[in-house]
Amino acid sequence: MRHWRGPQVERFSLLQRLEHFVLLVLFNVLALTGLPQKYSTSAWGEQLIAVMGGIAHVRFIHRTAAVLLVVMGLYHVVVVAATRRRPVRRHDMRLSLRDLRDLWGDVRFLAGLSRERPRFGRFDYRQKFEYWAVLWGTVIMAVSGLVMWFPEFTTRWLPGVVVPAARVAHGGEALLALFAVILWHFYNAHFRPDVFPMDPAMFTGTISVERARHEHPAEYEELERLGLAGGPPPGSPTARPPAS
Amino acid sequence: MRRARLAVLAVVAVTWLWAGRAAVAQENAACLGCHEAAGTEVTFPDGSRLGATVHPQRFGASVHAPLPCVTCHAGQTDYPHPPRAARSARAYQVAAQQICATCHAEAAAAYAAGSHGRAVARGATDVPLCTSCHTAHEVVPPATAAFRNNAPELCGNCHADEALMARYGVRVVYQAYTEEFHGVTTRLYRIVTPMSPSPAAVCSDCHTAHRVLPPTDPASTVSPANVLATCRTCHATAGRFFATAWTEHRAPSLRFATLVYLVQVFYWILIPATVAVLVALTALDLWYWVWVRRRRRRA
Repeated sequence: MRHWRGPQVERFSLLQRLEHFVLLVLFNVLALTGLPQKYSTSAWGEQLIAVMGGIAHVRFIHRTAAVLLVVMGLYHVVVVAATRRRPVRRHDMRLSLRDLRDLWGDVRFLAGLSRERPRFGRFDYRQKFEYWAVLWGTVIMAVSGLVMWFPEFTTRWLPGVVVPAARVAHGGEALLALFAVILWHFYNAHFRPDVFPMDPAMFTGTISVERARHEHPAEYEELERLGLAGGPPPGSPTARPPAS
Repeated sequence: MRRARLAVLAVVAVTWLWAGRAAVAQENAACLGCHEAAGTEVTFPDGSRLGATVHPQRFGASVHAPLPCVTCHAGQTDYPHPPRAARSARAYQVAAQQICATCHAEAAAAYAAGSHGRAVARGATDVPLCTSCHTAHEVVPPATAAFRNNAPELCGNCHADEALMARYGVRVVYQAYTEEFHGVTTRLYRIVTPMSPSPAAVCSDCHTAHRVLPPTDPASTVSPANVLATCRTCHATAGRFFATAWTEHRAPSLRFATLVYLVQVFYWILIPATVAVLVALTALDLWYWVWVRRRRRRA
């Protein structure tokens, strides 16, 4: 049932995997130091803040992690801009009408109304949704966080009401991100029957050509066209990942 | 020679002060002999009563510990004590404010000019007096963490009380404060790090401690004309629109702080909607794995 053996193609570079790992750590640190601030009147909020040594420490950790995340976000945008034209391992996250059609087609397929699954590219609509949710969420969190961090500066140019509005947006967006991660990312990367207990691609950096053929057929076709999908038949122990 | 004389003088002064303190402690011990007993009370002619217990340790920790009891309770040297002029406990406490004023003239004048003092002068009996906030015998400096972190609760004793505030046409503000940035910070300092004074604004930082006036009074530190200057006492670099970041201890609504309200409504809709869509897609995916896929394999 699993098509994970055999020749591999690179899916995430080492730097991308590192980026994901840092994001994972920072997201958890930010949630752990942010949620007790949002729910500071709850017993668990108080206890978490007490464990971390008081609100001054919690804010310091939260803001340090936030600055690191913003720096990484800027790095990400620069890398995407610099590598957008190369033939393989390029960005491939551009949204198009096709993703909406894929979503609809996939709903029909999963419901059993259609026998054909949409032919996904390198990233399917779920992965693109997650990617853009993280990116857009980071922008909202960074902007609203900075407004709250530097209200004196903000109100030199903007009406003061943006400060309490940023506070509401920061809390709302945080909950949204948390729900998206717990429901959508955990399901698709951990609990979905074909990947349970964990999809290793983000940590090994590769997926098998065979898996690409099943889950990302449009990408597979492109790999074939570029002559990167060939190699020994699946299961061969001498299979080597093609250069990219 | 000169230095030696100074040294002698210093030793004498210290000894004198020390002896003075010791004498005061001895004198006060005579009073505490009766007044440290729990449940000591004074009954006034109208039947109202006032606790007269002085906790020796807490009095000893107060700023007034070096003072002899008779500094404030003049003439109370003999037992039985001479009769008091006050007809009620409240009248006694109001009269006692004159005693505080003999040393704390500046605070007393500010208090008399503020809303609280003016109401007392009009005869209001449910308005704070010196001792309502500072206590009679456990007075601590207001800059200490113990007093400062607790200031919102102190004011909240009255300013969280709907019925009491309605009598004076004042909005109930305590709850809203505890949910604001200042209030959240101060509350967490009080609960989690009670030994450190909160760096965030407590009531008295903006409203002053004694000359508290409604924002409609042009002389108030929180009147529209003065509020930005008041913000800048802490937020020195605050921009010109800074004061409008203030939501006046009020909940946002369609009419007030509209943008805040709209952002709130936006997330009230977006979060449940997103969760519903994601749950539906997840359920559909599971449906595929447990039902559709199996049926197709059998077919």
